[in-house]
Amino acid sequence: MVNPPQDLICAIASPPGRGGVGIIRLSGDGIEPIAQRLFSKPLRSRTAEYVALKHAEEVVDTGIALFFQGPNSFTGEDTLEFQGHGSPVVQQRILSLLGDLGVRMARPGEFSERAFLNGKMDLTQAEAVADLIASGSIAAAKAAMGSLTGAFSQRVEKVATQLLDLRMQVEAAIDFPEEEVDILAESQVTIRLATLQDTLQQLFDKAEQGRLLNGGIEVALIGAPNVGKSSLLNALSGDDTAIITDQPGTTRDLLKVDLNIGGLPIRLVDTAGLRDTEDQVETIGIERAKAQAMRADLVLFISSVEQPLAAAKHDLDVLRAEYQIEVGENPDALTAAPLAKVIMVRNKSDLLTEPEANLEADLEGELVAVSATQMTGIKTLTQKIHTSVGLVHSEPPFTARVRHIRLLASCSESLRSGQQCLQQGQPVEIVAEELRLAHESLGQIVGTVTADDLLGEIFSKFCIGK
Amino acid sequence: MNYSEQYDVIVIGGGHAGTEAAAASARIGAKTLLMTQNIETIGQMSCNPAIGGIGKSHLVSEIDALDGLMARCADLAGIHFRVLNSSKGPAVRATRAQSDRALYRQAVRSHLDKQENLDIFQQAVVDLIVKDQRVAGCITQMGLAFKASAVILTTGTFLGGTIHVGTQQTDGGRAGDPPSNALATRLRNLPFRVGRLKTGTPPRIDGRSVDYGCLEVQPGDDPRPCLSALSHRSDHPEQVHCHIATTNATTHQIIQDNLESSAMYSGNIQGVGPRYCPSIEDKIVRFAEKSSHQIFIEPEGLGTQELYPNGISTSLPFAVQLAFVRSMQGFENAHITRPGYAIEYDYFDPRDLQLSLETRAIQGLFFAGQINGTTGYEEAAAQGLLAGINAARQVSDKPPWIPRRDEAYIGVMVDDLVHLGTTEPYRMFTSRAEFRLRLRQDNADLRLLELGREMGLVGDVRLQQFRAKRRAVDALAEKLRGDMVFPGSDIDKALVLNLSRETTLHEALKRPEVLPNDLVRVLGLVEEADEQAMQQLAIEVKYAGYIKRQDEEIAKIRRHETMRIPTELDFASIDGLSNELRQKLAAQRPDSLAHASRIPGMTPAALSILLVHAKKAASH
Repeated sequence: MVNPPQDLICAIASPPGRGGVGIIRLSGDGIEPIAQRLFSKPLRSRTAEYVALKHAEEVVDTGIALFFQGPNSFTGEDTLEFQGHGSPVVQQRILSLLGDLGVRMARPGEFSERAFLNGKMDLTQAEAVADLIASGSIAAAKAAMGSLTGAFSQRVEKVATQLLDLRMQVEAAIDFPEEEVDILAESQVTIRLATLQDTLQQLFDKAEQGRLLNGGIEVALIGAPNVGKSSLLNALSGDDTAIITDQPGTTRDLLKVDLNIGGLPIRLVDTAGLRDTEDQVETIGIERAKAQAMRADLVLFISSVEQPLAAAKHDLDVLRAEYQIEVGENPDALTAAPLAKVIMVRNKSDLLTEPEANLEADLEGELVAVSATQMTGIKTLTQKIHTSVGLVHSEPPFTARVRHIRLLASCSESLRSGQQCLQQGQPVEIVAEELRLAHESLGQIVGTVTADDLLGEIFSKFCIGK
Repeated sequence: MNYSEQYDVIVIGGGHAGTEAAAASARIGAKTLLMTQNIETIGQMSCNPAIGGIGKSHLVSEIDALDGLMARCADLAGIHFRVLNSSKGPAVRATRAQSDRALYRQAVRSHLDKQENLDIFQQAVVDLIVKDQRVAGCITQMGLAFKASAVILTTGTFLGGTIHVGTQQTDGGRAGDPPSNALATRLRNLPFRVGRLKTGTPPRIDGRSVDYGCLEVQPGDDPRPCLSALSHRSDHPEQVHCHIATTNATTHQIIQDNLESSAMYSGNIQGVGPRYCPSIEDKIVRFAEKSSHQIFIEPEGLGTQELYPNGISTSLPFAVQLAFVRSMQGFENAHITRPGYAIEYDYFDPRDLQLSLETRAIQGLFFAGQINGTTGYEEAAAQGLLAGINAARQVSDKPPWIPRRDEAYIGVMVDDLVHLGTTEPYRMFTSRAEFRLRLRQDNADLRLLELGREMGLVGDVRLQQFRAKRRAVDALAEKLRGDMVFPGSDIDKALVLNLSRETTLHEALKRPEVLPNDLVRVLGLVEEADEQAMQQLAIEVKYAGYIKRQDEEIAKIRRHETMRIPTELDFASIDGLSNELRQKLAAQRPDSLAHASRIPGMTPAALSILLVHAKKAASH
């Protein structure tokens, strides 16, 4: 059987983070014209070519391009590998360029899936491939949504709800024109479309300005003075890690450091500068800074084993209580995000002759014993950091996020067309079509919404029944 | 005793599914027999006296494009025509005809009487002849055995029909007609899943006892639309008005006070009724905050004074029906001619059917219409047509015709029924069709007619009418492609194009703000045929971009359709799917990835996982 055409997908194939070589892989139909466009030269199958990857005459990266014509390739389809420099920023730029050329970001495990379906993998590997897709997609969803401030997923949910409601109204107006339903006036549809766009825009703002496209997660170091925060920081940024930037905090007295821990880009927020003070203005600033730190994706709450575990737990509880009070006073939905995950780090474990009784920390997070100076427990801590942000499989969080954001952008694009159609006075069925497409894009993230779901909404809301 | 003739196809039931099935089978050339309990009620409209409406007239257009009866008969019997959704776009625009019941019956009957290859026989069927999981004919009440290679069952609400008025229950297939209980019992012994559904009708009212002065008048449209491409408005009989009445606080109080005597609320009815067509009791309970409901007062016909008050179907006792009807303004002295009632009936789970409407369990046996859990004349007729086509094709060893979801509303309906089943009477809505923009009334012929011709369904007259229409549209398109408009020219000004460089009228028509009527005016077209061609061309030109975009989506779905899911795949054992999805998959048992993708909550990752497991299972 000849396989029907497959859309073109791309992904970063090298390990996440900064490395010597960064590999971007493409698979599917229509690679050749895209290669021609990017490299300004045709590629020969199974031949390594030194190329410059250009965008609008500007060289984005240089490296080796490897083209394999299907079916003699890893996936059985035409594939292209570009081996460039391993800078996350450059790789991200290339992915974004590919996206603009219509290449879709691969879902987790999709290359393996295609290889399997094209008979390039043994049937016995089916379970493994399925597992890879399953766990990969859970990890990706977590990475894209869960691991960040809850605001991202909250906003996606909000868009889904608003869109369902708008479609319900529009479809009811189309299918039940004679019913006494509150048929939406065009102005109403316009307003709701604008609201939806706003919600999406806020999401993009957060996503793009912030760390979403940056790839990093924010980790706050919190703890009393002299518990060993600095040495822990140094321990974490050991062999394979380097301090990339050293920028002053945007918020008063917060030090932010970009690190790469085991391949995961991290922005470390150090609250080392926080101290008790009599100055009222400064106190307010410090409180704010603390609250902000507590909203990081992950909090490392550091204490020394010299202090009893129960006391450390108490300190953390106090901090949480303070933080929640702060939330209560500030009604902005963004700051009302759920409290970040906490890993309780017990430092200076070398001072103890036998391990601390492994009391359950009673937290959402976990408990790790380390000795920053002796470099023990650091690997466990690194793993825990990775697990807590959903980085279980190979897909780097930012790829997952880029894919989600691309889908949201295409949702937004359809909504924009819908708005335009309304302005042009196009019939409502065209607006409805754009809304359907917007829902299709969103459905790729939150799951399909069917006609029956929509009708169910209509019947529960309106008294239909001529 | 065996009847002497051997038939190719026997159709059991003379309603909208049965008549369409019999006519289609006979048109294709199969020797066909229509069996009915009563020849006089062939083509009877048992419920509201109207054909068409949103989603429904789309089905009617498709039947018409395949040279079926319904559109043509509704034109001959239509006494009040309206276009619905006229401003909402050509794809959701719909036509509805209030019909004179007697005229409609006559139109159907006379059509069937003229049909070659078709015999009609009046006798209740009590049994099917089934040998080796293959149908071979049927047996009537008086023991006559009729032999055929295929049998189409279109028994509507007659299987195990029970009529409820208040706490009273009687057996019946429709008020005044006996149910088909012998056949129902027999069918319950065959390997089909059976369920109960419910529907209702309102009390009918003597128009002479109504004060029309109090009611809002609803005139028909002018100019009047036609349902069939072969009709002209001069075919329509005399036209009448409809009216709108309203319920009020007293009406609601009366119903509220008597709820426990309603069959629906006393627990006597197990069947599930449609959410979009609730009884008046249901409306008052579920939407208690509404102080009034609209009731559409529809005439039953030209030769009768009876009225059909659409919107107050009920199973309350007669005395309560009379009281609440009389509480409405204009109905103070109303005389009820027939009480309203609820009816419960057997239906067969349509998931036991193939997409051809042949049952999976018994070869040659087809089901069409309300027996499959649908409601509505149009839904029934469309299924009848499809079953008729496929039964006749099977007899001549041809593969079945399976209309696709992006090709016809008939395809959407059958695909929904066979894949998803239904828990309430299934009615067509345009929102069920994801490719709604291409499934328009205006292009039903373009989508289906040539195909129908190939299948032997479409006659010469129909084909010529279609080709003439296409020629006119094509010629107009050609002309507009050649007509240049220059900046500052009269046409530029007349159409407010504000051109910066010259273009063709064809290009100009693509713009949303340029309406076909503008071009008709500018070009000075006066013939009705030319105007129609312009309207048609405008839709095709303006929608071309959307259709093209959908083509890509459809290509992807087709790819998914070729990816079959083996029936033995154990969904429960697949890791990585949410419990909810696993349950839905296990319940619906999708046979292809395309079908699975239409399950609510399905995600791309879940589809991928399914695909991998399907491939593995298939190779074992």
